[in-house]
Amino acid sequence: MARRKWGKSWRLNGRPDAPPIVAIAKIKNAMRLVAVDACGREAGLRMDQTLSDARALFPDLDVFDHDPAADAVLLSAIAAWCDRYTPLVALDRSCQSDGSAGGNCAGLVLDITGCAHLFGGEEAMLLDVVGRLRAAGLMASAAIADTPGAAWAFARYSDRQIITSGDHQRQLLDLPLISLRLDMPMLDMLKKLGLRTIGCIAGLPRAPLAARFGNGLLQRLDQALGRQEEAISPRLPVPELSSERIFAEPIILQDDIERTVGQLAGHLRQRFDERQLGARALELKLFRVDGHVACVRVRAASPVYSIDRIVMLFRERIAGFHDDLEAGFGFDLVRLNVLESEARQSEQGDLTGGSMRGEGFSNLVDKLGARLGTDRVQRFVAAGTHIPERSFGLLPEASCGQKDAGAQAVLWRQDNHGHEGDGPAVLTRPVILFERPEQVEAIAEVPDGPPVRFRWRRTLYRIERSEGPERIACEWWRDGRGGYSRDYFRVEDDQGYRFWMFRLGLFERETGNPKWFMHGVFA
Amino acid sequence: MQKTRVLQRLETLQEAVAKIDGRHASFARRARSRGHNDGSIVDFDIAAIDGVFDGGFPAFALHEVRCSLTRDIGAATGFLAGLLAGCMQQRQGRIVWICDPACRLDGGQLFPAGLAMFGLDPARLVVVQPVDLKAALWASDEAAKCQELAGVIFQVKGNPRNFDMTATRRLMLKAQQNGQFIAILRQGGEEEANAAATRWHVRAQPSMVDPDIQRGIGLLRLNLVLERNRHGQTGHWTIAWNQKTHGFEHAPTHYVDRPALSSDRSDGAPQMGQVMAFERAS
Repeated sequence: MARRKWGKSWRLNGRPDAPPIVAIAKIKNAMRLVAVDACGREAGLRMDQTLSDARALFPDLDVFDHDPAADAVLLSAIAAWCDRYTPLVALDRSCQSDGSAGGNCAGLVLDITGCAHLFGGEEAMLLDVVGRLRAAGLMASAAIADTPGAAWAFARYSDRQIITSGDHQRQLLDLPLISLRLDMPMLDMLKKLGLRTIGCIAGLPRAPLAARFGNGLLQRLDQALGRQEEAISPRLPVPELSSERIFAEPIILQDDIERTVGQLAGHLRQRFDERQLGARALELKLFRVDGHVACVRVRAASPVYSIDRIVMLFRERIAGFHDDLEAGFGFDLVRLNVLESEARQSEQGDLTGGSMRGEGFSNLVDKLGARLGTDRVQRFVAAGTHIPERSFGLLPEASCGQKDAGAQAVLWRQDNHGHEGDGPAVLTRPVILFERPEQVEAIAEVPDGPPVRFRWRRTLYRIERSEGPERIACEWWRDGRGGYSRDYFRVEDDQGYRFWMFRLGLFERETGNPKWFMHGVFA
Repeated sequence: MQKTRVLQRLETLQEAVAKIDGRHASFARRARSRGHNDGSIVDFDIAAIDGVFDGGFPAFALHEVRCSLTRDIGAATGFLAGLLAGCMQQRQGRIVWICDPACRLDGGQLFPAGLAMFGLDPARLVVVQPVDLKAALWASDEAAKCQELAGVIFQVKGNPRNFDMTATRRLMLKAQQNGQFIAILRQGGEEEANAAATRWHVRAQPSMVDPDIQRGIGLLRLNLVLERNRHGQTGHWTIAWNQKTHGFEHAPTHYVDRPALSSDRSDGAPQMGQVMAFERAS
């Protein structure tokens, strides 16, 4: 916002002499202010003021519309950026409902248990977060405390930033009740009773409070004081393993990124060896200097643990984007996460010293999957239905393990034998099937004769021979009541083309004017 | 006596050359296969077709199967499936089927139940569907490099310019080195010069009549033209697929198997309008 108004160097030049900026939205049938910048706040503008009142104070007020969707996008981008501090980053849901909840702005909760020492202690970490956000043009207020509730309260309603462990219960008592994340009606009621600070209610007997205000108040109080556990819900699942590297000088070149991936994979290799694991899904996170986070995910057909293969996967994946990663001014933090892992198959090279069996094939699948996308390298799986286009599916090769292959093979073979056994050995299924049956104009005998001639793709075919019908009833549990059965015919025209056609609907029993469809081509 | 000694000496020389230069591995393999068949030579069990191949049909090479009309794709796929099933009987490993995206528009997709009837196990297939032809060519190159694959099928529509002599020669060399059956399935394309060992043109033909069934479809027949053969002569046959023996058999065309069609008679009703077939969509 500021950048757009005052040019790129707005941060260095200081704030020019400009009117305050406010965001407005329609609340309670009036245009009211929902966000005011620091300058406006000093000048006496406040939240929930109507726009006409504010205009009376500042006729040249800079006004723009409140855009909650854009705010949410910005917040999730900041949350992605905060992944550099801890894997447990949660969006603060408690005050996103509407602007009325005490006029709070949305926030993020970071669980930094066990992370602070990596950044030189809690204080240094806090300064780092706020400083970097400030550099990116965002004003942030932050606090570190024992419980999420207490940190929330201190960040918004106090200027203390770091509350030493165990001290927050005493410190909280001076804060106003609004810092307990309560809703407006309850706050109004408490205000009427003369209860203004947390200290006022912390000493009161619990039973009357619960009877009067419901459980919500006590729950919030207990959460803030740490009497009740409050879990934050992180926006991303925590990776099983991860390895990262921070650069003093940002890296830009793709070769450097690949080399870094190799080093990170080398770190992971030791952990993999200890646990006898291999990764099935990996994620590479590239934190750009300006706060953008690029994420590259790959999936492997079999558990991978060797450095070369992991590097190869990412190289192909990045090559598959067709254009380079947008490096901008470079990446200053690279992290490799293991999203899914699996126990390795026992390593057993053969005696001739050749490569392991199956290694080459899974390597190929990984390579194709990484470059083209894993959902483009598929295998056939059988499904339990007689409707031809639903009787099989294509699943990504990388997602089904080696174990399934055996069972599937048996299934097809049984299918094959079943047809071989019954009477005259004929091909009853085409080799080519159209995903969507194509409607044809056909002339056919009623009620259930084969077509005599038909027009398909602007060509007229005259049927010489036909076999059928083979009736496949509709699946009422899927298509619902009133679905039509299909009568399949194998037909051959005078030039020798063999087709698989069906009539949708039984004549006069289900429909008066059945339609004909082309569904497949025989050899 | 002297002949066998010359042959032995030739074999040892070929082995030595193969050790120095990997590209001549096919010589060594062929030399070895003279003693016992390792799957590199496949018989059609049709004397007329086997006769034209000098030393048997080479399975470990690049082959091309083409059809001129899109509606012939069923016949071409069926022939390729039968051929593939024959070549895969002695070979373990998966088969990669790469499909050019242009084919999917009007060519339909493979139906596993139908392929299984030709003796090809659908569970062995890996279907690759790249986004464009360039990616498809890259994928076929990568697949041909993999030694554990039994076969690679590259389905392409028409005659794309990128898929030229160089690309096919690369595939041919890899097929010989790695012992793979590599085939190009060309849908609605013209014949063009490339490095394939054989090129077959397939067209559907009216089926053979079955005396038991009056108006039914008998053994399906295919019109097969061997347009190019690096190891012998070319030829023209009509073959039929026998579902009982799971193999092709020779069905000579001069065998009159059905009465003249009513529409072909001189006194029949004249045909309405004219039937037009648009050969290629491109």
